[in-house]
Amino acid sequence: MAKINPEEITVTDFAVREHRSLWGDAWRRLISSNTARLGMFIVVLFVSSSTLSHYFWKYEPKKDLDYSLKLKAPNLIITEEIPSTHLFGTDKLGRDIFRRVVHGGWNSLRVGIVAVSISLFFGGAVGLMSGFYETVTMTMVERLILFGTTGFLLGFLSAWIANQYFQLVLYTGLGLAAGYYQDLFKGKFLRMVTFSILGAFFSAVPGLFISPTVALICGLWGLFTGVLLSRPLDGKFFSNVMMRLMDIVLSFPGYLLAIAIVAFLGPGLGKGMIAIGVVGIPVYARLTRSVVLAIIHKEYILAAQSVGESHGRIIFRHVTPNILSPIIVQTTMGLASAILSAAALGFLGLGAIPPEPEWGAMLGESYRYLTSGAWWAVLFPGLAIMLSVLGFNLLGDGLRDALDPKLRT
Amino acid sequence: MNPILEIKNLKTRFYTQDGVVKAVNDVSYTMSSGEILGVVGESGCGKSVHALSMMQLIPDPPGKITNGEIWFDGRDLLTLNEDQMQKVRGRDIAMIFQDPMTSLNPVFTVGFQIVEALLLHNDMTKEEAKERASDLLNLVGIPGAKQRLNDYPHQFSGGMRQRAMIAMGLSCEPRLLIADEPTTALDVTIQAQIIDLVKKLQDELGMAIMWITHDLGVVAELAHTINVMYAGSIIETGKIRNIYKQTRHPYTIGLLGSLPRLDDSPGTELVSIPGLPPDLVALPEGCPFAARCGYRIDQCLTEKPPLVEIDGENHSVACWRWEEIAGMGTK
Ligand SMILES: Nc1ncnc2c1ncn2[C@@H]1O[C@H](COP(=O)(O)OP(=O)(O)OP(=O)(O)O)[C@@H](O)[C@H]1O
Ligand SMILES: [Mg+2]
Repeated sequence: MAKINPEEITVTDFAVREHRSLWGDAWRRLISSNTARLGMFIVVLFVSSSTLSHYFWKYEPKKDLDYSLKLKAPNLIITEEIPSTHLFGTDKLGRDIFRRVVHGGWNSLRVGIVAVSISLFFGGAVGLMSGFYETVTMTMVERLILFGTTGFLLGFLSAWIANQYFQLVLYTGLGLAAGYYQDLFKGKFLRMVTFSILGAFFSAVPGLFISPTVALICGLWGLFTGVLLSRPLDGKFFSNVMMRLMDIVLSFPGYLLAIAIVAFLGPGLGKGMIAIGVVGIPVYARLTRSVVLAIIHKEYILAAQSVGESHGRIIFRHVTPNILSPIIVQTTMGLASAILSAAALGFLGLGAIPPEPEWGAMLGESYRYLTSGAWWAVLFPGLAIMLSVLGFNLLGDGLRDALDPKLRT
Repeated sequence: MNPILEIKNLKTRFYTQDGVVKAVNDVSYTMSSGEILGVVGESGCGKSVHALSMMQLIPDPPGKITNGEIWFDGRDLLTLNEDQMQKVRGRDIAMIFQDPMTSLNPVFTVGFQIVEALLLHNDMTKEEAKERASDLLNLVGIPGAKQRLNDYPHQFSGGMRQRAMIAMGLSCEPRLLIADEPTTALDVTIQAQIIDLVKKLQDELGMAIMWITHDLGVVAELAHTINVMYAGSIIETGKIRNIYKQTRHPYTIGLLGSLPRLDDSPGTELVSIPGLPPDLVALPEGCPFAARCGYRIDQCLTEKPPLVEIDGENHSVACWRWEEIAGMGTK
């Protein structure tokens, strides 16, 4: 038996616990998964190539044109005929597809980030407010914010029909008034009469300047809004109105709605971003609301309330950090679907305007040449779309597993 | 002693799909400053809901305080709006909760959370607040308080979390501290330590404490006064001595009978109360305890007994037969 040298024994101090943060744990779990690593690799490649090329490899699409190099297959060797290498070949205008695919990444990245930010910001705000105030009593300021917003959003239909966007101010005012005078004729029929007359009046009168029909429709909508706002204005009411609005948006097929919004705003990458972002709002709103409802009855929220913390503080300090994981996962997946939607709009000619390099638009410009054998003009942009979507989805899946609280030890 | 809290006819309801849950029914009582009040009763009898009603933290909907007055410091809290209540919470009345596992926010360090609570109600710098937070952790008996401030809740044991919660409740130096079963999840030794701690703190800081529990043993060691609740009503209340020595309500007798006592001779069987408390959605017309009561008479089934004072010492009981029960003499 070997002798044990007492000096070799190291004493582990069991009392000292390892300082582990929740995010550190999640990160370790994330990088231990092969598919998540692959996703992360693709995403990093995509983000860095797009960003670097945008800043350091200038490309002016409007000047890029050379008919002599029209639809050349990928070549790596310089010949007399083709004086430059084209890794991915050239398209119908003789433009280098590799270069356009790399630069197209920048557009996809922008669309993804801007669109998802729009969805996340508005959807997240609506979801947070709906979920939080569903059971928590509002202060006066919060009441004004929530019901001012309700009035504003409800006013959209009327404002759009009459094409008078100043009507939004009137509707917001109606919401504010209903919120502020919540006890006026409370529970009485008179309250409904008052608010419906106010609503009908304020939206019918401006409508009269357009046509009697418009005035009638706007008046009816104002009447309806007034009736709604005459009900007991609590958080549950706000949540119901918001969720029904979200249902309305969700009831349209996503692409169709995006196309309709683009048709309304006009084509272009920027408009496309807005359209895709707006279409995504309900997804985030519903998700956020549901996760808020799942944690709102946790005792640390009650505890924070019981020491007198304000609602704003509770929302940002106690609610938001604890609902972050599902939202991060959804955001990652959302980037994938935004990129895909942008490509779809581009393909239909409703997104990026040529000659701007954009993957969907590149497909749209080139698929007709597939029959003449120019497979490269379609394959590479298509692959780029597929890979970037795959990357974000794999990363999202990995994040879902890594952030799953059930795995947390 | 002057009253710090006076509750009159408090009623709280939950309007659920299955009907109206009558969680708190006409609760009235007074607390003096510096008093420790024990609120006892079976699970689901409305102890937490009545305390949350005082803080106006009932989830609404489905909950609603439908009636009552809660006088604290010359103001009826039920007439205050949310802005005013936020100033009352923490500074005047603070509450610590049942479950030590979920009452601290998992994403922030314990120190951060105590410092936040301190900064909320006190005019001090962050450094002073940190200093005070570690004092508080020391006060509640967490060893190595200074380093422990940087720990996350999951690095604390259940008992330590509970102490941290108490430290947080104390941080605002409220005039009334409501402790909602703060020791239920803890083992007996820790429980005893926390009770000693609360007694000591109460001596030092002089606040009134409402201690909610279903454990009469804990209350006996701690409280000056006891409210016994059953199905949302107070059925017996009084000084601790009177409740234990001159028990008048059959339910309280049952509760005491189900408590193991040191002076029980070996072999004495513990009595348990047969049956279950009534459904709060469909409360019986008469006395809510009648169905389980061994002293039941016809009147109990038709008329709800009011809470009446039976001696000069604020000992009140809601039972038609308390005089006969007094005559029988309790063990
Ligand atoms: N959000 C709610 N919705 C509907 N009913 C509720 C709600 N909260 C509490 N209740 C009901 O109110 C009654 C009283 O509950 P409460 O939490 O006060 O019991 P408790 O005496 O504190 O019990 P425990 O000792 O188990 O904590 C229960 O019957 C419960 O079902
Ligand atoms: Mg309880």
